[in-house]
Amino acid sequence: MQLSWGPEEEAFRAELVAFLDEHVPHEADKGFDYADPGEHEDGDLIPEWGRAWQATLFDHRWMIPAYPPELGGRNCTPVQTLIYLEEMARRRVPRSFHFPGYAIVAPSLLEFGSDAQRELVPAAIRGDTIWCIGMSEPNAGSDLAGLSTRAEVHDDHFVVNGQKVWTSYAMVAQKCFCYVRTDPSAPKHKGISLLIMDMDTPGIDIRPLRHISGAANFAEVFFSDVVVPRENLVGTLNDGWRITQGSLAHERAGLWVEGVSRLETTIHGLVNLATRRGLIDDPIVRRRLAELSERAASLRALGYKGFSSFAQGSSAPEHSFMKMATSELGKECWEYGMELQGAYGAVADPDRGEEGGRWVMGFFMSFANTIAGGSSEIQRNIIAQRVLGLPRAR
Amino acid sequence: MDFTLSPDQELLRDTARQLMQRECPSELLRAHIDDPAAADPLWRHLRDFAALGDGPLADLCLFAEEMGYVAAPGPFFPTTALFSPLLGALGHELLSPALAGEITGTVAVAGADGGWQANDDRVKTFVPEADRVDWVAIVSSGPAVTLVQSPSTRRVTTVDFSRRMFEVEVGSGSGPAHSVDVEGFESVLDRATVALAAEMVGTARRLFDMTLEYAKERVQFDVPIGSFQAIQHKLAEVALDLERATSAVYYAGMAIDAKDADRHRAAHVAKAAAGAAATRAAKDGIQVHGGIGYTWEHDLHLFIRHAYGSEAWLGTRDWHHDRLAELLF
Repeated sequence: MQLSWGPEEEAFRAELVAFLDEHVPHEADKGFDYADPGEHEDGDLIPEWGRAWQATLFDHRWMIPAYPPELGGRNCTPVQTLIYLEEMARRRVPRSFHFPGYAIVAPSLLEFGSDAQRELVPAAIRGDTIWCIGMSEPNAGSDLAGLSTRAEVHDDHFVVNGQKVWTSYAMVAQKCFCYVRTDPSAPKHKGISLLIMDMDTPGIDIRPLRHISGAANFAEVFFSDVVVPRENLVGTLNDGWRITQGSLAHERAGLWVEGVSRLETTIHGLVNLATRRGLIDDPIVRRRLAELSERAASLRALGYKGFSSFAQGSSAPEHSFMKMATSELGKECWEYGMELQGAYGAVADPDRGEEGGRWVMGFFMSFANTIAGGSSEIQRNIIAQRVLGLPRAR
Repeated sequence: MDFTLSPDQELLRDTARQLMQRECPSELLRAHIDDPAAADPLWRHLRDFAALGDGPLADLCLFAEEMGYVAAPGPFFPTTALFSPLLGALGHELLSPALAGEITGTVAVAGADGGWQANDDRVKTFVPEADRVDWVAIVSSGPAVTLVQSPSTRRVTTVDFSRRMFEVEVGSGSGPAHSVDVEGFESVLDRATVALAAEMVGTARRLFDMTLEYAKERVQFDVPIGSFQAIQHKLAEVALDLERATSAVYYAGMAIDAKDADRHRAAHVAKAAAGAAATRAAKDGIQVHGGIGYTWEHDLHLFIRHAYGSEAWLGTRDWHHDRLAELLF
């Protein structure tokens, strides 16, 4: 056991820090600690400086450090990748304003795509192509494998009919990674295929959805007789479910860093809030703030412990805990920020509430983290069944 | 930051695990309720590891975790986690026999309010094993330390059968006073606090393992109760508290061993997190066991008792949160 990294790792960190000092755009300094509310107009979900920054990261081989240079990386080790994620989180610098392309599409195509499909990967990572992911449907949320968007299989094409929902970035995306049912008679996990769709294909109708904060960065997507060429099938027909399971694996062991780092910023914000409101000497407030700090600190330790097992080559059960724990604790922190404001806790008027409505907005946005990407309840099922070995309910 | 155990540490943990399993069965815990001498044979094995009182804290934590798993009673914990480190801070000559396992000792700090700060109260509280150890180190304000033998003690019965607590009358045994610097004394307390947190993590893991096994075996409505989501989600939350507490303990051990600036904060976090894990594992453990967990004959209560006894000692969760607040804001 040892507390700090070795000199080689610290030299790597110094190189990264030097790059960031020189290139991070000033707009990235806003340091938001809740999910980007997407307060821009629909066409401006991804700010221009964000596009340029992602391309800069790619061109300097700092976009996905574990990847080879032609994919925007430098063949980094797991420890170097963790250090990269630590530094980015510490500065609260976003890598990208649209995660589906670099985080989901790229690794999936590299593993499952044809030669032609793999040629789409560099642009997905550099952010030149904006992707959306067609997964959730009105009747397929946590039970994703129950999806019913139908693709009829023809000799050289598919015909797609159905509906997706909560599709992030659909209104600005050029391409969609879309999960469809190609064999309605097979058991539900065995009749799903993955298609690449061009979003300007006739028959695709995108209707932006406003979320709880009032902004819109996701949409409903309707498909009416959408024709998709056969070569846009990713992997094997009816074997698409497998691809949903593999996304993000290359960085999974370090993804907790951003969540924990945001928590620490939020708790720091709570201390400042309590100080401004004259509550910082209240013993009940102090104890509550300390408890939140304790939980965040122990989660940081848990993240590092899980990373240690991952770096040693064993599967790390610790990571099953991190998403649930950081998102749930985050929600508690935001709610406490409202509570500390007393009667003003519910004020949404940016001119009257604390910090331009940061706490109200953060609270509403925090539900995205406990619902999206596998709700906390699904995470508990996964922990119980895959980590603890408890039997599935019949 | 690397949590990977060295081969020596793995060996220490495995040795401790086998030793505890063999030498500290629940029959010993039950015999020890009425007769503290029942733990003497265990001490004769544990004394071989008394040198852990002066080595890396991470190693002591590995050992203490296995002690907690069996709720090991006796003088080992107060001797290695409190007495020896205090002797080390004093530069006292008794350190070498203590590390050799030739003498036992305990430390008396808390006064009437039970708080772990040096004070001049005439009666010290929550002193473990004070009636049977060779030496009691009494800490008064200064901090000043007086080493006494056979002081006047009074047993205070707690829920915990594995850690016998006493009040000790200050001045009831004589000896010269030694002074220890404030920082040295804080280090002793940090070390003991984290070692206790490690023990609690072991106890929490025992409670959790017993409960998980029971949930897989116990059949109701024709299925194992562990297939019910109400049970699964409860156990997932216990597992989370256990994992984060374990991580916090070993992080604190590393921080103290490295004399890192973060070590005081880490010690408070470790004990508070261990308290959360141990008390949750205890409460949810008995709940999942249902009626059988509520009986005297079932071993579960031996560990529930140890969990709550440990939570109350060396600063409760609230107490550590208050200290943490002082450090942070």
